[in-house]
Amino acid sequence: MAEQPREDLVNLTIDGRPVSVPKGSLIWAAARKLGIEIPIYCYHPKMEPLGACRMCFVAVEKMPKLATACTTVVTEGMVVRTDTPAVKKGRQGTLEFLLINHPLDCPVCDKGGECDLQDFTLRHGPGGSRFDVSKRHFAKPIPVSEQILLDRERCIACQRCARFCQSVAMEDGLAMQERGFRTEVGVDPAAPFDSIFSGNVVEMCPVGALTAKSYRFVSRPWELKKTGSVCGLCSVGCNVRVDVRVDKVLRQYSRPNDDVDDGWLCDRGRWELDAINSQERLRTPLIRKDGLLQPASWDEAMRLVAGRLREIAERDGPGAVGGIGSTHTTNEEAYLFQKLLRAGLGTNNVDHHHGRFPAAAPGAVLPWAWTDSIAGLERASDILILGADPYHRQPIVDLRIRKAIRAGARVHIVTPEPNRLDRLAATVLRYTPGHTGEIARALLNVVTAEGLTRGEFAAQRAATVEARRASVANDTPEQVAETAGIESAALRALARDLAGAEAAVILYDEMATREPSGATLAADLLDLALLTGNFGRPGAGVGPLMEDNNSLGARDMGLLPDTLPGYRLVADQDARAALGAVWGATLVGEPGQTYEEMLGGGVKALYVLGADPARHLADAQLTHLNGFEFLVVQDMFLTETARRADVVLPAVAYTEKDGSFTNTERRVQRVRQAMQPLPGAKADWEILVGVARALGLSWRYLTPAEILSEIGRTVPLYAGASRRALGELGACWPLSPGARTPEGRPTVSGSPFLTWEMFERGVAPSGVSGATGAAGPELAVARGREE
Amino acid sequence: MADTLDTVITEGKALPLGPYPRIVTKDFEVPGIDRIEVYRQHGGYAALAKALRDIPPDTLAEEVKKSGLRGRGGAGFATGVKWGFLPKTAPKPRYLAVNCDESEPGTFKDRMIMEVSPHLLVEGTILAAYATHVHHAFIYVRGELAFAGRQVERAVREAYDAGLIGKDILGSGFDLDVTVARGAGAYICGEESALMESLEGKRGYPRLKPPFPAVVGLYGGPTVINNAETVSTLPAIVTLGADAYTAYGTEKSKGTRIFCLSGHVERPGNYELPLGTPMRVLIEDFGGGVRGGKRLKAIIPGGSSTPFLLPEHLDTPLDFESVAAAGSMLGSGGVIVLDEDTCIVAAVLRMSEFYRDESCGKCTPCREGTFWLVQLLERLEHGEGKASDLDLLNDICDNIAGKVFCPLGDAATSSIVSSIKLFRDEYLHHVRAHGCLVGPGARKH
Repeated sequence: MAEQPREDLVNLTIDGRPVSVPKGSLIWAAARKLGIEIPIYCYHPKMEPLGACRMCFVAVEKMPKLATACTTVVTEGMVVRTDTPAVKKGRQGTLEFLLINHPLDCPVCDKGGECDLQDFTLRHGPGGSRFDVSKRHFAKPIPVSEQILLDRERCIACQRCARFCQSVAMEDGLAMQERGFRTEVGVDPAAPFDSIFSGNVVEMCPVGALTAKSYRFVSRPWELKKTGSVCGLCSVGCNVRVDVRVDKVLRQYSRPNDDVDDGWLCDRGRWELDAINSQERLRTPLIRKDGLLQPASWDEAMRLVAGRLREIAERDGPGAVGGIGSTHTTNEEAYLFQKLLRAGLGTNNVDHHHGRFPAAAPGAVLPWAWTDSIAGLERASDILILGADPYHRQPIVDLRIRKAIRAGARVHIVTPEPNRLDRLAATVLRYTPGHTGEIARALLNVVTAEGLTRGEFAAQRAATVEARRASVANDTPEQVAETAGIESAALRALARDLAGAEAAVILYDEMATREPSGATLAADLLDLALLTGNFGRPGAGVGPLMEDNNSLGARDMGLLPDTLPGYRLVADQDARAALGAVWGATLVGEPGQTYEEMLGGGVKALYVLGADPARHLADAQLTHLNGFEFLVVQDMFLTETARRADVVLPAVAYTEKDGSFTNTERRVQRVRQAMQPLPGAKADWEILVGVARALGLSWRYLTPAEILSEIGRTVPLYAGASRRALGELGACWPLSPGARTPEGRPTVSGSPFLTWEMFERGVAPSGVSGATGAAGPELAVARGREE
Repeated sequence: MADTLDTVITEGKALPLGPYPRIVTKDFEVPGIDRIEVYRQHGGYAALAKALRDIPPDTLAEEVKKSGLRGRGGAGFATGVKWGFLPKTAPKPRYLAVNCDESEPGTFKDRMIMEVSPHLLVEGTILAAYATHVHHAFIYVRGELAFAGRQVERAVREAYDAGLIGKDILGSGFDLDVTVARGAGAYICGEESALMESLEGKRGYPRLKPPFPAVVGLYGGPTVINNAETVSTLPAIVTLGADAYTAYGTEKSKGTRIFCLSGHVERPGNYELPLGTPMRVLIEDFGGGVRGGKRLKAIIPGGSSTPFLLPEHLDTPLDFESVAAAGSMLGSGGVIVLDEDTCIVAAVLRMSEFYRDESCGKCTPCREGTFWLVQLLERLEHGEGKASDLDLLNDICDNIAGKVFCPLGDAATSSIVSSIKLFRDEYLHHVRAHGCLVGPGARKH
């Protein structure tokens, strides 16, 4: 071994093979490193050792009794054997015990085929049983929640589920009840198991005791095709394994990525797959003929779309054409969509439904970027949740906050509605819905008025601090208490807590910026973080919790009327020229129309991709959608908007295509095709390539990987991104190309947290944007105009 | 039933205390000794006053070490040495927990102390806390012992009122709070780490060790856990001095011990005797011999979790070493006598049911193994067993003992393994004759 024994490493041998592991490691982990399987049931690497199941016996020299590998910490020079007769007898004994009360219903057990009891019995167990008396019987199965069934006969009482509920989810739920051989898992009738994290217990259950109703008797595990991907539901981007049987997604399991999901998955990601499997999905392009949408061929539909767009653009100018993009489609598709509009049709009329943020400005901190990371929450001393509901909207972030609480973080919940974290919070404040922006300004008011600013950033910018103080001088907590119905003294105390915090993270919901008072919410909170020194280091930061799985990616890829991919302004001539050269087009310097402007009738032809603006329009405004001369909708379903379209192009789900998503912590992650596309439908990128070709553009993309490589070359925030470089775990932007692995695979290195120096340098490392940062970073509102 | 002590004395016949030198139970016949005034009239709390006035805590701890006092809960670990495991400094407060969760079948000495002389327990608790620099002690009383719990609660209240617990005890500057906690009825909570879990309001599961309680115990603080009888011996050690105390007992088992004599004897009860007293003296002289003139069949010397001994062991001295040499353990001091009419399989089955029902269910071998053992013993006892069941029982016990999470599982195997060894023919008789060898269900061939 080339590795030098260092002080923090412990050397031992297992079955005669030397291994070095970090101090404090368990024998189980050391064996795993050598590829030696030590069977476990009660132990779970994400929870404290328990030592209950007595499955992981090993023999340790000088120890009189067998040791449990999952509870025994390695020591220098330790000699471990996993193959002695005593070890084998110990493990066989435990397996025999576990099996005496276990029903032999494997043929109809959902877990059969992926069951640790089956597998360990095969590899470590006795061949037969000496048990010839009566098994314990229970009624089976019984529901423990809306979605989970419990078969107590199959339970081996490893306590994984109960410990998950208590120590990870930190909520009521499953608990061990009764004792001895009567031990069973159960729920308190007064405290129903309604956690959004409940499905994790099904995945953790080593046997078929806890099964999902949705998967019950549906498939054998070996019939499933399992593909590592990323969940496409919310902006957390949990890494998943998509389990598909023939043409249906049956479930998603966790594919652990400690930085993102810590190995957990929420119930939505696990089970809310109805949209993918829906019978309502579109299976053919539709063209409006005689007032009715009627099936048509792809060729006809694409030629019609291209022809009409071109016709209207030529007749009324490119400004008569626009596109509304999606917060769900991949980065590659968002990129192609804006490229189609900008390079193919010559317009900057492209936008999507998103939060209100200050416009990008050279050298300014990007206020929509969560400057820290999900994993960074664990290092925070204080976490402010303002106007957000991560439990329901970004559940796995909520779960990470719970982990941070266990590590000692104080959580401050300031929301209009009760929050699931209230019970664990240090501060709980309620206010009238719609007033989030005022709360933010009041916090800034206290910090500036009471002279609580901290850190180098504020120290170097006395004038800016003073200007900021003046700008919020009237927004005192007492004033805001009147309008927002919040307790002023507590709000004042909270501001002081944040200012005095060792490391505070400030999180808010992207959509809170759309409230009447939310116009400057993002900027105010960014400034609050900057002025209290809660910026630019792990465990401190600020950012929005984004709405959808690729809300941030949509922005990054330039689905905005005033910025090119990577937030270079369309007004920036150098940036336009650089991108135009790659795209073989001359780009327009005039910002395009916004989402609202286009929907308000600012364009004659509208291309809607993966969005349903009808959802966001008041009934009275719905008629606008009928007013377009030509409306194209590209979607999986015949949405409200699609019903009004002239052409509908059927798209596929994220499980049916390759690509990448960018989650709310700026992590760019690969999405992989897990199943065949629905017959008749196509991936958005394929449709866009088809339309582009019909427009006469010479697009030659054969795979999303080629598009991603182009993004990696042309978008500085994504520098070096490629299918292979992103690997299995992804990386947070700004990306930069890393060294190749010994196997020759390219890599990228990411940025787990943003520093203001990063913006000073310009987040565009290649300098394409021309953001020299000569002026240095400034407070967000001081630099950006409102969008 | 009324709770007063008089009633218990007159109705219970539980206290035929003998004429041997008694130092812990010396005043147990005094009427009203459970009240603080009477207890003090008979010298109660004088040891505490002496210690607080004259003996610095570390000197007291040293004195206890010199006395050779060994834990009376069952394991017999030296009390002074145990105290020495407490770290000198720790970020969290240190605690004392007095284990009054006496649940071992055949053991009822702590119950007597609590019911008859709760102030002795309280005084001992204060002394133990003083010697270990503890400022908050917990007395954990077995849930089923309602009267004992009330007696201890009242004693603690009286001691608070008398300034013997609380701030600046007897002007010494030593502060101590004492909390009486009642268990909810689980044998496992007598295991020290499960006791701590229970005290913290959690389900009674034993904890993983290390860390040991002396380092990370109750509420994360360094914790001493001592048995009720152990702390109740401290006033005597303070009063007599370690040297005088060590005059009782043997070389390695010092002092006296309360033996709980039960089973088929004429006069069952608690007897305080010097360690090393021959078992015959306890059973024949104090206990009046086997009931009804029957012959002795077997003895369980230290509570139901210790292996059987035979009549030939009757002269074994009751000290830790001698009983171990005879093949059993002194354990909790619960001496159970079985006469010749006792079916050994029935007795073992009854004890095994106890362990099955009291297994906490945390670890596999104890939870599942005790369930299986009872089923096999049941069918043997009912004459439906097979000869091969004996080997199976032994092997199941082997798969439990030493492989379980806590000592309770080991305890469940002692009577089975030792009875199969000592009474194999009686087991086989059940197989052959489909019934018992002796007793009401006896069936000859």
